[in-house]
Amino acid sequence: MSSRSLLPQFFFSIERHLTLGVARQTNFTRIGIRRVSYLKQKSVLALSTRHLFSDVKGFIPCHRFLSSNMPPVVPKTDPIKIVEDLIKNNRIAVFSKTTCPYCIKVKQLFSALNLEIGVIEVDTREDGADIQDALLQKTGQKTVPNVFVNGEHVGGCDKTIEAHHSGRLQFLLNKSQGDASVEMTDAVKYDYDLVVIGGGSGGLAASKEAALLGAKVAVCDFVVPTPIGTTWGLGGTCVNVGCIPKKLMHQAAILGQSVEDAKTFGWELPEKAKHDWTTMVGAIQAHIGSLNWGYRVALREKKVEYINAFAEFVDPHTLKTTDKRQKEKTITAKYILLATGGRPRYPDIPGAQEFGITSDDIFSLPHHPGKTLLVGASYIALECAGFLAGLGINSTVMVRSILLRGFDQQIANLIGNYMEKHKIRFQRGYVPIKLERIEEGSPEEGTPGRIMVTSQNEEGELMEEEYNTVLFAIGRDACTNKIGIEKANVMLNPKNGKVICDEKEQTNIPHIYAIGDILDGKLELTPVAIQAGRLLAKRLFGNGTLITDYVNVPTTVFTPLEYGCVGLSEEDAIAKYGADDIEVYHSFLTPLEVTVPKRDGNEGYAKLICVKSLDEKVVGFHILSPNAGEITQGFAIGLKLGAKKADFDNLIGIHPTIAEVFTTLNSTKSSGADVLQKGC
Amino acid sequence: MVLKLKAEGFQEFQAILNDIASKKSEDIFILFSGSKDTTGQSWCPDCVEAEPVIEKALESAPEDAVFVYVGVGDKSFWKDSNCVFRTDSKTKLTCIPTLLKWGTNKRLLDNQCNKLDTVLMMFED
Repeated sequence: MSSRSLLPQFFFSIERHLTLGVARQTNFTRIGIRRVSYLKQKSVLALSTRHLFSDVKGFIPCHRFLSSNMPPVVPKTDPIKIVEDLIKNNRIAVFSKTTCPYCIKVKQLFSALNLEIGVIEVDTREDGADIQDALLQKTGQKTVPNVFVNGEHVGGCDKTIEAHHSGRLQFLLNKSQGDASVEMTDAVKYDYDLVVIGGGSGGLAASKEAALLGAKVAVCDFVVPTPIGTTWGLGGTCVNVGCIPKKLMHQAAILGQSVEDAKTFGWELPEKAKHDWTTMVGAIQAHIGSLNWGYRVALREKKVEYINAFAEFVDPHTLKTTDKRQKEKTITAKYILLATGGRPRYPDIPGAQEFGITSDDIFSLPHHPGKTLLVGASYIALECAGFLAGLGINSTVMVRSILLRGFDQQIANLIGNYMEKHKIRFQRGYVPIKLERIEEGSPEEGTPGRIMVTSQNEEGELMEEEYNTVLFAIGRDACTNKIGIEKANVMLNPKNGKVICDEKEQTNIPHIYAIGDILDGKLELTPVAIQAGRLLAKRLFGNGTLITDYVNVPTTVFTPLEYGCVGLSEEDAIAKYGADDIEVYHSFLTPLEVTVPKRDGNEGYAKLICVKSLDEKVVGFHILSPNAGEITQGFAIGLKLGAKKADFDNLIGIHPTIAEVFTTLNSTKSSGADVLQKGC
Repeated sequence: MVLKLKAEGFQEFQAILNDIASKKSEDIFILFSGSKDTTGQSWCPDCVEAEPVIEKALESAPEDAVFVYVGVGDKSFWKDSNCVFRTDSKTKLTCIPTLLKWGTNKRLLDNQCNKLDTVLMMFED
């Protein structure tokens, strides 16, 4: 039955509702919405409604009718509405082309899974191009297939297949059933409105916000000691073993450089300035100690209960907490927020946990680390190598393949080159296979001991070298495997143990949420977790409606030369828009302050990645320079507001600064022109 | 019993610190307050508010704790940015009242000192 044949009947019913006034109209709207939810639940009723209305097209003619008899509601068939309707009225919506092999693949996937889909074939309709434009506006994706599940954008063919493998697809499909069937009732009395597991940046932000809105809140935080026994206070990774001590040690290293530079500016200083590791660690740890205390005071002031104990699920609403004296307690909560974060991974090789350390240990190491091997190509490995070398410590980085996977690779290589020029040794293509203790360290004398590291390259060639300290920075694992998460039936991505959530940080269990480093497919950054935690609390306990925007999040890697970026890497921009549609404006740069000491000309670098077909909209911003973090933070607002290259050109620079380079970028990468800076 | 001591001004404060160093108590709490006038009233209203709260919370302090009340001087002395309590590297005060646990990073500032909840945290920890 075609939708058209239903029209007269349909018109009649609308006309009647209209004459009966507004109340009836509301009624009509409600019927429309109900139909959608029936469809989502895939009940028998849904099938019968489907027969009645055929497919989504059934809804469009009625709007046409309205427009011809009344002041125009929708002047012509608005492509945005066509898109929204298909998404709204189908559990799975696919925008497709009949001839496209990827579209066929996606449709085959759903058919193999026995799932019904709503399809618009854009190549069979006159307004196909308009629909694709509407999709681009909505999703930033121009290409087909473009897949939505239960209203949420999944992406193209690869993304959909990936979602199928990661479990996200199943999660999105189940979601609507959960929403409909589980009604939160207050009939059951819980100990708390909200229990947050994990007192890191995100967990603390969420708990304080929730308490401020009147909720009864508890935060469970417990630091499991590292293999060598390091532990710390309230506040999570960022404050204790991440951003804060990292940036302070980075600063200590920069000061070393500044002391050397100072001599060329006339400061009379000793020939060789000496650095004392224990003084630095003591000062940094004292600051962290005051932060830990400050967080506890803040929780107390805001009436959030702090439970210094390890929490694990007993059932979806019940947690068992165990404190350091092994005292157990059971608490219940209406909502539970998972904010357990991650911990560094150790390789599965002999001696790794016994003799190696990680970023969890380095910032409070009581003795000078001595000759240090850093294993891994992560930003953590490079940052640690950077500040250690800056403090005059012999540092070697062992990497299996590329540096900074996921980041812009041109910049990653520039960072590597700069570090290599500045006393950091790279051993590429090797992985450690064994650590052996040659000599114990002496805590009394503050010496680190000696470790023999055996490593191997792809050809199987072995290499042995002695170090005082070996630090692993090969990745971080989400802390989701020891909290009894299976007892709450929360879905994890089996590949990485991260929690699968929708765009509102909700898991497949409606009263359980997750934020921060354990969120699958999201960014592992403190401010992201804080934002997510705050907004989530406002949605749960206030009348907040905002959801966290995970797009265009600025970030900075604090390598000796800092790297700030926001938006897409060049690789990702090419993958998304195609190489032909990308223009890259770039320049090397020399900060003024390095000219007098006569060091490092043209080590810095700036680039803007623009999309030609979007009027040179800037989709990627990259800067390698001192203070890159400070520069990137400001420019990020430009990208969030959709700045074009012309906007950057129109901006007047501040002279003399590094950041002013972005107002005068006129060489394109494609031109191949020389972009080395040649003086003022 | 908690040992309660009083010092007026920086020199007396230093002298008391020297005295109690021999006691080797791990729990030395110090309250810095605006000095009291002849009527026994401090010129600093927040300090006036904090005193009874801290007095009450002290009942929960460890038995062998030492509590030192320090008057930092009159208003003009304290408001001077070169005031010794502000510049001394061991005290580095930024506001009064300040309640701190000596030798640790634990400090309560301003109106944190007049909430029983937070003050108890300091003594019970």
